[in-house]
Amino acid sequence: MLYELVQSTVSGLLIGAAFAVLSVGFSLTWGVTQVLNIAHAAFALLAAYLGYFASSYFQVDPVLVLVVIVPLFFVLGVGIHQVLIKITAQRAHDLALSSMILTFGLAVVMENVMQVLWTPDPRVLKTSYTGKAIFVGPIAIATTHLISFVLAMLTIALLYVFVHHTLTGKAVRAVWQNPTGAALSGVNMGRVTNITYGIAVATAGIGGVVMSLIYTFDPSTDMVWLVYIFLVVILGGVGSVLGALLAGLIIGLTVGISGVFIPLVWVNLVLFLALILLLLLRPSGLLQR
Amino acid sequence: MLVGLAILLVLALLPLARPSTYFLGFMLILFMYAALASSWNILGGFTGYLSFGHAAFFGLGAYTTALLLFYLKWSPFWTMPLGGLVAAVFAALVGYPCLRLRGPYFSLVTLILTLAVSIIILNAPWTKGAFGMFLPFPPVDIFTNHVIFYEVMLALMVLAALVARQIERSKLGMGLAAIRENEDVAQTLGVNVTWLKMEVFLISAFLTGMIGGIYSYYISYLHPSFVFDTLISINIVLMALFGGRLTWLGPLLGASILSVVNEILTLQVEAQLARIVFGLLLIGVIIFLPDGIMAAAAPFIRRLLGQSRRRLRPSSG
Amino acid sequence: MKRSWLPQRWYVFLAVGLLLVLASACAPPPAAPAAPAQPEAPAATEAPAQPAAPKAPIKIGCSLPQTGPFAETAAWIQRGYEQWAEEINASGGLLGRPVELIIYDDESSAENAVSLLNRVITADKVDLLCGGYPGTAAAAQMAVAEKHQMVYVSMGGHMASFEQGYTYSFGAPPLMGQWWYDGLFRWLETVPPEERPTKAAVFTMNNPIGASVVDLIPTELENLGIELVVNELYDLPLADAAPLVSKAKAAEADMFFSNGFFADGVQTVQAMKALDYNPKLFAQAVGSIIPAWVEELGPDGDYVFSGTAIHFKLPYEGIDHLNQVAQEKYDSPVAPTYFLFGYAWMQALQRGVEGAGTLDQTAIRDWLKSHEITTVAGTFTFDERGLPPPYNFLTQVIDGQVELIWPPEVRTHEPVYPKPPWGQ
Repeated sequence: MLYELVQSTVSGLLIGAAFAVLSVGFSLTWGVTQVLNIAHAAFALLAAYLGYFASSYFQVDPVLVLVVIVPLFFVLGVGIHQVLIKITAQRAHDLALSSMILTFGLAVVMENVMQVLWTPDPRVLKTSYTGKAIFVGPIAIATTHLISFVLAMLTIALLYVFVHHTLTGKAVRAVWQNPTGAALSGVNMGRVTNITYGIAVATAGIGGVVMSLIYTFDPSTDMVWLVYIFLVVILGGVGSVLGALLAGLIIGLTVGISGVFIPLVWVNLVLFLALILLLLLRPSGLLQR
Repeated sequence: MLVGLAILLVLALLPLARPSTYFLGFMLILFMYAALASSWNILGGFTGYLSFGHAAFFGLGAYTTALLLFYLKWSPFWTMPLGGLVAAVFAALVGYPCLRLRGPYFSLVTLILTLAVSIIILNAPWTKGAFGMFLPFPPVDIFTNHVIFYEVMLALMVLAALVARQIERSKLGMGLAAIRENEDVAQTLGVNVTWLKMEVFLISAFLTGMIGGIYSYYISYLHPSFVFDTLISINIVLMALFGGRLTWLGPLLGASILSVVNEILTLQVEAQLARIVFGLLLIGVIIFLPDGIMAAAAPFIRRLLGQSRRRLRPSSG
Repeated sequence: MKRSWLPQRWYVFLAVGLLLVLASACAPPPAAPAAPAQPEAPAATEAPAQPAAPKAPIKIGCSLPQTGPFAETAAWIQRGYEQWAEEINASGGLLGRPVELIIYDDESSAENAVSLLNRVITADKVDLLCGGYPGTAAAAQMAVAEKHQMVYVSMGGHMASFEQGYTYSFGAPPLMGQWWYDGLFRWLETVPPEERPTKAAVFTMNNPIGASVVDLIPTELENLGIELVVNELYDLPLADAAPLVSKAKAAEADMFFSNGFFADGVQTVQAMKALDYNPKLFAQAVGSIIPAWVEELGPDGDYVFSGTAIHFKLPYEGIDHLNQVAQEKYDSPVAPTYFLFGYAWMQALQRGVEGAGTLDQTAIRDWLKSHEITTVAGTFTFDERGLPPPYNFLTQVIDGQVELIWPPEVRTHEPVYPKPPWGQ
């Protein structure tokens, strides 16, 4: 029992970090602009494909491809904001609502464009370290999981530093907490929201590569990932970087630990019920102020 | 009013023209979604509490009538109110805590609740679990079969629309609008927000459960992955929001348009391209008509109807 | 004044709407539906079968999930259907008439699958049906076909779907979860008891195919004297395979069943490798029969045992030709399983039509139930349920090739057993 428990806990923690980095950008755009970006997971999927093709056609490690993906997706995020979100924000009565339909439409388009371009075949990322593991006693730490964990932690740490210790980051937080007040005190709203979208979509890119190290994917996988994003954001609280990290780790742990003690069919149920219970006790996430 | 009745009459008498069973099948699913979107809108549209979990009520209703048919041979035509009742009881159990949550939190919790209910049904010993339930067919020929379900779904759509219309125009509707505009202010003004929200949540769940109860008999083979499908919840929301959620007419319009467009795309356009066009349509509508078709069409329709429909687009507080 | 013309405008509105809807039904244009009292022209009335004009094509219709999670597999089924249609048209057609396929996209939704099958039957008025995918959609469509009394050849929805008294449905051959490991267990019987695995761990996805696959495993294991130490279902999507694998490893199971789809199957294999879990025998269900298992997973997918009702190395007539087609047309090294399935189902339908000599559905059904037919999947007779006698081949992936292991008369490679440890 001890072996399964430790092994599953380790594995669950590593996976939880991947969920966190996948979700943190979604949380950010929701917090700052009231937009629920349903297409967030579709962007992650796009990055997963880019990493996959780089590694299978050019033998470049997908983690290195992030050098290209991150700036590219930052621009993409700014573009999405400029082209789609901004207009909607100006015209919609209820932005959360309208943006959900808008980005759901975007996700449908992206999924099917990917299917046309790259066929519906499922993909498995192969790297030089896939299937390898480091052993600590009898406990295995899969290299792919470890790398995705490090990458996730690094991203979240950088993001945390940005949001809490830079001027721009503080402006982002100010907009999130009090848009009117922020605008009045001279924050350039357009610039701040642009940056928020750029960062959010860039982290989706990182999240996609991280997820593809662990999971297989095909053009419809984004809807599966979206559920993980929802879980993390609800648990962690909207707009909170640390909350997302904590929530991801807790979800990973729950999956790992409950998988050992109870029949596997009930694992998701335990997770969902725990989440609902927590929400009822603390209606705006773990790190509620 | 007269116009509405005329449309209804045409729709109700349509089977006399002996259209194909496919056409009846298509229309009855359209009615079903219109009814679902209307039921959803009573909560989501009027109060602003967007449930992403109406598939839970739909599925509970479906499984209730299916189990009664399977084990006791009770016809779903009689037991569908029981389907609604089970859904409403479930809504009563989860309603109070869930309705304390605001905005997207409520949406996501209802979504997760659906996933949870789906797992329970999937693993319950008496639902045949993952194998799914095969139900006996109604003892009539295929055309009559479709006519019956067509008329029942039409009736359910009318029922849902009437309930929505009644609520919109009642004192209750005004209370709900107050909640939508600003719940805290409504509460200070003495509106019993908790009870109002609960009331419409139960009504909405009951109607949805009833619709699900008849759907299971129509589809004949029931599996949790069909009726607890998140896509059903999403479709309902899309249709209601697409049509415009502030009036009872919006969801009917949204469901009709999206169903027809989707069917035409499926039939006429190559598969992936059809999905892409559908996605672009959603994007286009939000950019050009951010508050739904109904909000844009309201002046036109008001002129068309030649009567004052004050609440076609309520003034925002 | 106003009141007098406004309702008329509404009728125009209504008429346009109805026209739009009817156009989507592809029915002939209806008479102006403006007046409710005047019933529409009997646009789409189901007319009694008219004598077909010579050379008018035979229409064959169904729906497949061309988009959504099941799109990959369905694409191969559709290619199988199309290949069959192309060949039969090149060789003079069916009953001397060309065939035409009408296949709609059901977006991986069973509800759409039901609606679209209704459509091909009553609006497109097809002469024959082709089968849907996956098992849930097929099971729902079997009910539709039965209501319309039309022959429906498909993979079926596993054993439960064939035990509902549906008379028009055929699994020719079926993709039958309950039979999945038949070949595996028959082969294990020939392995000397001291060399057999002793403890088995079984993990199965909780859906129709998973539940069907795991149905008979406990009984079969008991007959072989293999202890069942873990037998669990899991829900999809699988977040983490480590709990599964570590449970099996801790229970010292030397026989491991991973009855999942591709995504969770790959996760399980990768976790087995990472955790250095080395059972003597590793069996995987449906996930390993799609081409991606070999193409995407590479050497990690080797030595996995599975089952199939149809295989590209079977010594049956037509298989070689289909391998060639798959290579030339689709750049696939061999004919994928579902490509063969699609082709075989259409062949079975063709045998029925040609045998009965008519498109009368009941005649086709009765002919199929009373005669022996041969397809690329082999020779079959059908029982009352529309099923052939139970059978399934045992396969094993060896050096990136899916080899046939059992029964011995079709064996293409000696089984690699016990499975070499990872990295060797």
